[in-house]
Order: sequence, then structure tokens, then C-alpha cells
Amino acid sequence: MNSFFEWWRRGSVWVWLSGATLALSLLMVAGLILFLAIKGMGFFWPGDIHQIQLADGTIWGQVTNHEEESRYHPARTQVKIANRDVYGQDFRWVDDAEILNRSFPGDALYIEKLDGGPFIGRLVQIEEHGQVLAVGDKALPIAQKRLSGAKAYQAQIKSIEQSEAGALSNRLEKLRLDGRKLELQGKRNPRAAQEIEDKKQDIHKQFEQLQARLEALRNQSRALTVTLETADGNSRIMPLANIVRIVPANSIGLFGKAGVYLSRLWEFVSADPREANTEGGIFPAIFGTVMMVLIMSIVVVPLGVLAALFLREYARDGWVVRTVRISVNNLAGVPSIVFGVFGLGFFVVTVGGGIDNFFFPERFPAPTFKTGGILWASLTLALLTLPVVIVATEEALAAVPRSQREGSLALGATKWQTLWNVVIPGASQGILTGLILAMARGAGEVAPLMLTGVVKLAPSLPLDGSFPFIHLERKFMHLGFHIYDVGFQSPNSEAAKPMVFMTALLLLLIVLVLNIFALRLRRKLRRRTGGSSF
Amino acid sequence: MGNDPHRGSARVKRLDRFMAWLISAGGVLIIAAVLGIMIFITKEALPLFRNAKIKDLPTLAVPASDAVFLDESGKYAATFSLGGGFRCWPLEQQAGLADIDASGQPPLPWKNIFTNGANGRVALQGFDGKAYAAEVQWRQSDQGMEARVEWIGPFATTASDSILAARAIRGGGLGNRHYLKIAALDIGSIRVGEAYPNSPIEWTTWQLPLNVTPTAAKWSGNGSVLFVGTNEGELMAYLPDSGEALRSDFGEPVTALGFALGQNSLLVGGEKGKLAAYQFLLSEGRAELQRFHDFKPIGGGVRGFMESPRDKRFLAWSDSDFAVSHLTSEARLIHASAEITSAAAMSPRGDSIIATGQPTLRWHVQAYHPEVSWGLFWKKIHYEGYSRPEYVWQSGGASDDIEPKLSFVPLLAGTIKGTLYAMIFALPIAILAALYTSQFASPKFRETIKPTVEIMAALPSVVLGFLAGLVLAPLLEQWIIALIAVVPVAVAILLLLMLAWSKVPKSFKDKYGNGREALWLVPVVFLSLAVSAWIAPWIENAFFSGDYRNWLYQGQGIMYNQRNSIVVGFAMGFAVIPIIFSISEDAFTAVPKSLASASMACGASPWQTAWRVILPTASPGVFSAVMVGLGRAIGETMIVLMATGNTPIMDWGPFSGMRTLSANIAVEIPEAPHQGTLYRVLFFTALLLFSLTFILNTAAELIRQSLRKRYESM
Repeated sequence: MNSFFEWWRRGSVWVWLSGATLALSLLMVAGLILFLAIKGMGFFWPGDIHQIQLADGTIWGQVTNHEEESRYHPARTQVKIANRDVYGQDFRWVDDAEILNRSFPGDALYIEKLDGGPFIGRLVQIEEHGQVLAVGDKALPIAQKRLSGAKAYQAQIKSIEQSEAGALSNRLEKLRLDGRKLELQGKRNPRAAQEIEDKKQDIHKQFEQLQARLEALRNQSRALTVTLETADGNSRIMPLANIVRIVPANSIGLFGKAGVYLSRLWEFVSADPREANTEGGIFPAIFGTVMMVLIMSIVVVPLGVLAALFLREYARDGWVVRTVRISVNNLAGVPSIVFGVFGLGFFVVTVGGGIDNFFFPERFPAPTFKTGGILWASLTLALLTLPVVIVATEEALAAVPRSQREGSLALGATKWQTLWNVVIPGASQGILTGLILAMARGAGEVAPLMLTGVVKLAPSLPLDGSFPFIHLERKFMHLGFHIYDVGFQSPNSEAAKPMVFMTALLLLLIVLVLNIFALRLRRKLRRRTGGSSF
Repeated sequence: MGNDPHRGSARVKRLDRFMAWLISAGGVLIIAAVLGIMIFITKEALPLFRNAKIKDLPTLAVPASDAVFLDESGKYAATFSLGGGFRCWPLEQQAGLADIDASGQPPLPWKNIFTNGANGRVALQGFDGKAYAAEVQWRQSDQGMEARVEWIGPFATTASDSILAARAIRGGGLGNRHYLKIAALDIGSIRVGEAYPNSPIEWTTWQLPLNVTPTAAKWSGNGSVLFVGTNEGELMAYLPDSGEALRSDFGEPVTALGFALGQNSLLVGGEKGKLAAYQFLLSEGRAELQRFHDFKPIGGGVRGFMESPRDKRFLAWSDSDFAVSHLTSEARLIHASAEITSAAAMSPRGDSIIATGQPTLRWHVQAYHPEVSWGLFWKKIHYEGYSRPEYVWQSGGASDDIEPKLSFVPLLAGTIKGTLYAMIFALPIAILAALYTSQFASPKFRETIKPTVEIMAALPSVVLGFLAGLVLAPLLEQWIIALIAVVPVAVAILLLLMLAWSKVPKSFKDKYGNGREALWLVPVVFLSLAVSAWIAPWIENAFFSGDYRNWLYQGQGIMYNQRNSIVVGFAMGFAVIPIIFSISEDAFTAVPKSLASASMACGASPWQTAWRVILPTASPGVFSAVMVGLGRAIGETMIVLMATGNTPIMDWGPFSGMRTLSANIAVEIPEAPHQGTLYRVLFFTALLLFSLTFILNTAAELIRQSLRKRYESM
């Protein structure tokens, strides 16, 4: 006991306590990442479909949650019954006491649809042009086989709608603007007007042809229909083309499930969102995030490197350097929302408004640049991440040995030649570190984007096949904003939760991978020079 | 670089000079960027405080009238006068003549005209013993604006009635029947009644108190209260339905009554220019006539009021002066001298004022953001419908006649509250963990700690906010008792563990213990969590009668909000810990080793050295770490946006939410029209945030710079 008090007196207990705080911090980080990984990765695994026999009927569904008995409710199970169009809700709580019997019917299917949420039930028959192709057990293989064909129609329709019809409507809009421009310049005359009108007619004709083609395709895609039945005998007939995936969850086995898992994962990263962002993929958000970060990088690297060169190589220690340093630190500490406000006021309203007045008067009052867009968001983030690049570059410049510079200068090189040929190549790894850290920071910021151009659902990507290919004025989707929007603004937030978890996991992975990469680079750099950042 | 050094040397030198210039420009650009952000945001916010300007316009040949209304553009005036009836006037030369449709106009001359504010509605009393109501409507026509009057009536009354106040009420229910609320003065009493077409009025008599002479009267907007000002300096409110009369001392003889937009606030003007606003409050079934705003008096006896049709400004005039004041902020926007003898009006856009008379005067007014004043942001303001002055943020209303409530105080309080809770959680953890890492952790362990903490710093705040709002908040609601219990439980388990540890042989300690204590404590954290979760239901039953939320609400009057300060504190603390950790860890590590060695040589234990030598020496560094952490917490947006309910309340309790300055910007700016008042006010709050973090960061950087110098000299 004595030794314990001695131990207490000397404060070892405090050492332990402070150790505990560290343990807590580390645990929180690890726990958070682990939690997201488990929660996120689990959602795409096709769960078994339970048949739950209740006193008042049978329900089929996936068990999503279970709560023990408490003051507020008895022990109960949350079942995802799906079939929103039949039951009006996706989930149902069932009291455990009411459950008479559970089983796993082999013919239960989990069917993902293009709209209206998933369907849980069995396949009754498959028909083509009203003629029954197969019934019962034999229908499923045929449906699975024909599914990709039916989806191909759907893809074709979508591609026509997007590219060809999109191009036509772009041309139409351009004609309207041309006419308006002529009017504004006072050059409008009957001949020019007639020309524009002729072209418009021509486009309208092409539109009609396109519509006819689309209609034919739609009819073809509707030819194959399936009859489905829910557990309690409600039946539904729907075109096969409306179905994304048929998962016979109870009978495909482990490998089959793994296949479904991978296909869902692929859909998640490669497809467009459906059903108000609660289903489908998040490809536009990934694309928007990446493109925004790239534009930001193009702007931030030259600026950051210039500023760092100034601080390290050109400025003499004095009030200027002190002010710049304080400015850099301040820039790093300014709340991101303030950058957003600045971006909105300066880039969007002032600069964008100026561009609109000068270059696009014919589009008035519809704004072109005087509204949030990917360019403004990227510039705002470039400003926000500037200090990251400056600090990293400075550190890297400081790490270039003095002897190398002196050697270069002694050979007669000018200061710039020394910098360009000796110092900057030597510091390139550090600059890269700064860039990666800036990218990680930029990818994770959301608040400034909300004011400068992010949207919940962008009709088209900022990069596509129509001239001029890169559309810097377009609004875009972003992973971080997707999390906020789907998680907090979505009307059906319970059904959307898996999407949010997966999106959060993806964003976290992007940011973590970038950071770990940067950290390794930096550690290598520091080991070479043994510097410290304080 | 060319092979021939002489050929390219001039070019090389030029390039060298150019790059030197370019790079210096880049450095200056950084200063410019910071300054530029500040200047730009200030520039956007400043017009809020610009004073209104007034300019005389040429006088007009419009005759004096008894009621005047302006159209949306302020270029046309519609007048009613006893002798001339209804007329419409273009006020600017380029404006075409306005058409009037005089059909249905009651026979002239009229005996009396009663205006009830800028809504374009008047009530008339004719000499024929009938009363009418009229409503002006503006329509765009080819020549310009067209004024139409909808005549309503006649309503039964008698020519001999000396009517004190009349108001046309659009009756609800079937047929949308109109009626007139009429108050007529008799000797010692006032008769009130409702006039319908073709049926006699049923009068109710209100016996006036002795020695009271009514001088002005107005019906309230819905016709339920009659306000009467007296020569004896009193304001009275009479409720015909209950027969109740309320009295309030005004201070000088009342000469004019009027309403602010929305007809909820009664404006009262006195003989010596005194101006005040009253509201009629019904609280808990009790009626109250409350004087809630006093304005700077104008010169001379107040002759009339007219409100702006768009906001809470109003015009008050006397024989010699007129003034435009704002109801909410009590600020006087314009004060000028002019003789206004008859009716006056403000245009809906608030950019012109007209006063008919001999001659008719007209002014151009440039008011930038009349509803804003410095006091509005920081002081308690008495809003319409509130029983006392309060700090409220409620930027938008359903219609123009709801006052925008723009107090920064609840937002600032929310910001401070969020920061405070985050700091309570983050500070001890971050500083102690940093001290441990720099002083006690083994070098190899340190190598893994630092990157982990840097990764912690890199976690996107939107992910933290999402986890806090959607995962932590519901969990916490279930396990809050366990959370409170975890601190004592953890300390108890820790003590037990250490008791055991002191019995462990030294060789084992040296091999596995020193410098790795944190790893040993991982199970302790888990164990304490498990134990407190296990005892939580028992605690809840024993102390909170089985349901803590019920206990809080019934016993303490506290509502438990799921997204509350504890959740925010956790999430934001999580975001701040790595920042405070790294800066203070650097500060601890940078303390010269000689100091620690000296302390140890004198016999101090490692902890004593760390606590008494390292910590005080590095305290400026820790302080600067706290400053930077504070700056981050103050400006954090996504976490608070997602982890709180975003209600701008003033409540410091841990179980309620908040709205911070930053979240407020994110919530409101997408809806704010560019360059409008709300937009500029939000820019002003952004400037506030910027200044707060600017001060914190500059202080932190200055401290760090001086500390660096001190260490160098050690």
C-alpha cells in the first residue's frame, strides 16, 4: 500500500490519466472509421428474406433491426417489407410476441426497380406481348436471362434522350439566343429572322423523328412483362425493363450473394441516382467532387508555390514576411463558411454578374455565370486551401540543403535558374504533399460549396460531349453535400440511410487515402532532413 | 539554359528579374487576398448603415386633398377630396395621363373622409345621410397607370351624425359582405355601431369618463377596438364586444392617430410633437394597452401619420416638420422642415413622399436599408405581439407586415454555447494527450500517434456531423445516463488498475509499461463503457423515477432535444481535438531538454517535471493552440448544421440545441435575394465571424512567434 501512495504522490496516476485521454482519442478515431466501414460495407450484402407468420397474416421482409424490451415498447423487430407502392411504407416494426413462426421461403425474391422502391415477393409468370412464356419456377431463369436485354433498351432510350435529344434542344436554345443577340445588337432583320425560324422548324422535325424512334423503343421495352405477387397475395404486373436486379436472396448461396454485392457496389459508384437520391448510384457526385478538386488544384498550386517562394527565397525577414505569415495563418483559420460568403458575393455575384453583362446579355434574365457553378466553387476552395500548399511548400523549400543552392550559384546560375533547376526539383515532393493535403481538405469541405454551386441533383455533368465540353458554369453534385442532403433533407430518410453511410464511407476513404499518401511522402521528406513544423 | 553563356545572358537576367517581381507579387497577393476578403465582405455589409437621403423635387399643381395614395412606382397619385371627389394625377412629365373611371362616385361634396392607412381604402360620409367605402386599385394601361375605385355602399347613417372614426371591414362568411364600423361623438359619450347597406345601425353607447374631450379616433384593423385620443393627454381603447375600456397616459394632448403596416401598432402623436406607438395585447384573456415604442418628437403638433405600404416605416408630420421613423428600431431616418397642411403619403418602394397642398410638395428619398440599425442587432427590441423587449432572430415572415427580427445576440449566444461545449470536451483530452505524447510516450509509440491524430484532423466535418446527427444523437438519447456515469466509473476502474499496477514487478513495468500506458488503458475505456451501460438503468430507476426525460420535463421543466449541445460538443470537440493536440504537442516538444533535465536532477518525478516545468514553459504555446481551436469551433458549420435543431434560442442548458452564426449563414443565405437586407445582414455576420477568428488567429500567431524567439534564446 505504501508504494501505492508513494506512486500517487509522484504523480504517476496523472501520467496514466493523461494516457487515458490519448487512448480515448485514438479509440474514437479508430472506432469512427471502423463503424462507418462496417455499417457502410454491410448494406449491399443481400440479406435473407424472412417469412414471418403473424396472427393476422404473413409478411416477407429483411430483418433490419431488433430492439430489446424497454419502457417504451416490448421486444420488437424491424422488418424491411419494401413494396412501398402496396403498403405505403418500407419498414414495419413487429412485436416479437406476435410472431408465430419464421422461415426462409426459397422462392422469395428481392427485386430492385427503377422507381417506387424495391419489391419483395415471388415471380408468378413472365409474358411477352401478352403471351405467357413461363410460369412459376421456370419463369425466374428466363426473367434473369432476358433482364439484360430489357435493360439494354432502357439504356438506349436514355442515351437517345440524353445525347441526341439533348443536342437538339441545345441547338434550339442556341438559335433562340442568336436571335436575341441580333435583337440586342440592333441587327435583327426579316431575313435573319426567317433563317432562324427555318432552322427551328428543321430541328422540330428532327425532334418528331426522334420521338417516334423513342416511342418504338419504349414499346419494345414494354413487350416483356412479369407478374409478381407479394406474400399476402397482392399481384403486380410490370415491364421487365423497369427492373434493375432480381435477387433470389434465400437460394443463391454465398457466391451468388457475393456476385450481387459486387454488382450493387459497381452500380453505386457508376450509376446515376434514382428515387430522389435514395437509390441507385452516386456517380455524378463522385465526378463532381473529382472535377472540382482538379480545377481547384490547377489554381492553387501555382499561387501557393509563388507565395512560398516569396516567403522563403525572396523576402527578407522583416515586417513584410511577418505580415504575410500572419495572413497565411489567418487564411488557414478563417471559417470555411466565410469563404463561401466571399465566393458568393465576389465570384458569383460580382465577377459572374460582370461576365454575364459583358458576354451573355442575350441570355438575360437567365444567369449564366451569375449563379453558383463548379468554377466558382473551385476558386473558393482554392482560396481556402492556399495556406495548406504554402505551408507544405515552405517546409519543402527549407529542406533543400544550402550547399546545393550555393553550388548552383557558384557555377554562375542566376537566382531564378537556381530555384528552377535545383531548389524546386528538390522540393517537388514537398509541393506534391501540399497539393495532396489541399485536395483532401478540398474534397471534404461542404459549407462553402453550398453557397457557390453545389446542388442535390444536377441534370448534367460539367463535362460532356456537347460543345465546349467543359461547362464551368454548370452546377454540380458533391459527395459531402450528398451526405448532408440525403441524410437530412430527404423525405424518406430511413430508406436513404444506407446510401448516406456508403457515401460517407467513400468520402472518408478518399480523404484518408489522400492523407495517408501525403503523410508518407512527408515522413520520407522529414526523415531526410529532420525538420519540425513548429 | 543555352550552351553559349553570352548569347542568352541578357535574356536570363531579364527572366531572373521578372521572376523576382512575379514571386514578390505572389507574396503580396496573399496579403491582398486576406485583406481583399475582409474589405469585400465589409463593402457588402456597409450599405446597411448608410443614412437615408432626401431631395426636394419640383412642386406640383395637384390641389390639396384629404387622402392621397401613390402607385407602386410613385409616379401617380390618387386623391380624394371633399369638394373634388376622386382624382388621379401623373406626377412626372414622362408619365402619361392616368385614366379614371368616375362612375359610381357618390354625389359631391362629401362631408367627411376617413383614412385608415396606406391600404388604399377610405370611408366617406356624404351630406345625403349615407356613408360609403372606397378602395383604390392600380392597373397598368397603355398610357400609363390607371386608377380605379371600387365603390362600396351606400351604408345607412344620418347626415347629422358627427362621425369620429369609420372603417370599412371586409366581412367574412357568405357573400363577402362589407360593413362600416362607425364611431360617432355625442355629448359625454361615443356611439359605436356597424352600418350595413339598407338596414339601420344598432348603436352601442360608451359613456365617456368625466372631463374627457376626444380629439382623434381610429378603429383597429379588424374593427374590434376603438382607439380614442383625448385633449387631456390620454389614450383610450374601447372594446364594444365586452364594453371594456382601457386607458393609458400619453403625456400631452393627442392630436393624431395612425397605424404602422399591418395595423397592429397604433401610432400616437401629441400637441407638442411627441410620438409613440401602442399595441393592444391579449394575454391570458386579459386585454392590455401597451405603450411599446417612443420616438424622437418632431417640431410642432402632430397633424397626421401615414405608413409605408411595404415596411414598418411611417411618416409623421406637423405644421412645420415631417419625419420618417422606423417602428421596430425607433430610428429616425429622415427629418425635414416643410409645411404639410393636408394629406401625405409614402410610395410603396419608399423612394418618394408626397404632401398635397398649396403647392403640393414632393421629395425623393434614398433609403438603403431602413429596417436596419445598429441597435437592432445588439439590443433587446420590443416587437409587435411581444409583451416585452427580447432578443430574437427570425429573418423572414409570411408577409411584409411581419417585422424581420434580426438580433445577433441569440446567434452569438449559440456560437459561444457550441464552442463552449466543444471546448469542455476537447480541451482536457487534447492537452493531456499532447502532454503524454510529448513527455511519456515511447518514441516508437509516438510515431504511430502523430499520423493517427493527423488523420483525425482530416476527417471531413460533414461526416462527423452526419454521424453526430443521425447516429450519435439517437444513441445518446438512449444512453445519456450511462454517459454521465462513465466518468466516475472510469476513474474508479483506473484507480483499481493502478493499485494492481503498483504491485507488478518493476522488470515487467519497464518492459511493457513505461511509454505505453495508453495502450494498457484501451480495455479500461471499454470496461468503463460497459459497466456504466450496465448500471445505467439502475441509476435511472433510482434517481430519475425510471424515465429521465420525463423527470427532466416534469421536475425541471427542461425539454430533452435529441440534437442537443452534448451531441454538438462531442462532434465539434472531435474536430477540434487534433488541432489543439498538434499545436500543443509541438509546443511541449520544443521546450528545451535542459529544463527537464535540471528538474529531474533536482529529484522531481517525471509527472512533476511535466506539470510544473514543461507545462508552464510551454503555456503560451498551449494558449495559442486553444486560440486556434476556438477559431475552428466558432466557424464550424456542417457539424452544427447537422447535429443541432438550428433553432435560434437563448438557452445554455446541455439538453437544448442552438443556432450558430455560421450555420445561420448556411441556412439563410440561399434564400436571401442578392444585395437585399437579409443578404447584407448575413454578410455582416460573416464579417463578425471573420473578425472573431482573425483576432484569435493573429493573437495565436503572435504568441507563437514570440515563444519561438524565447526558446531560441534558451
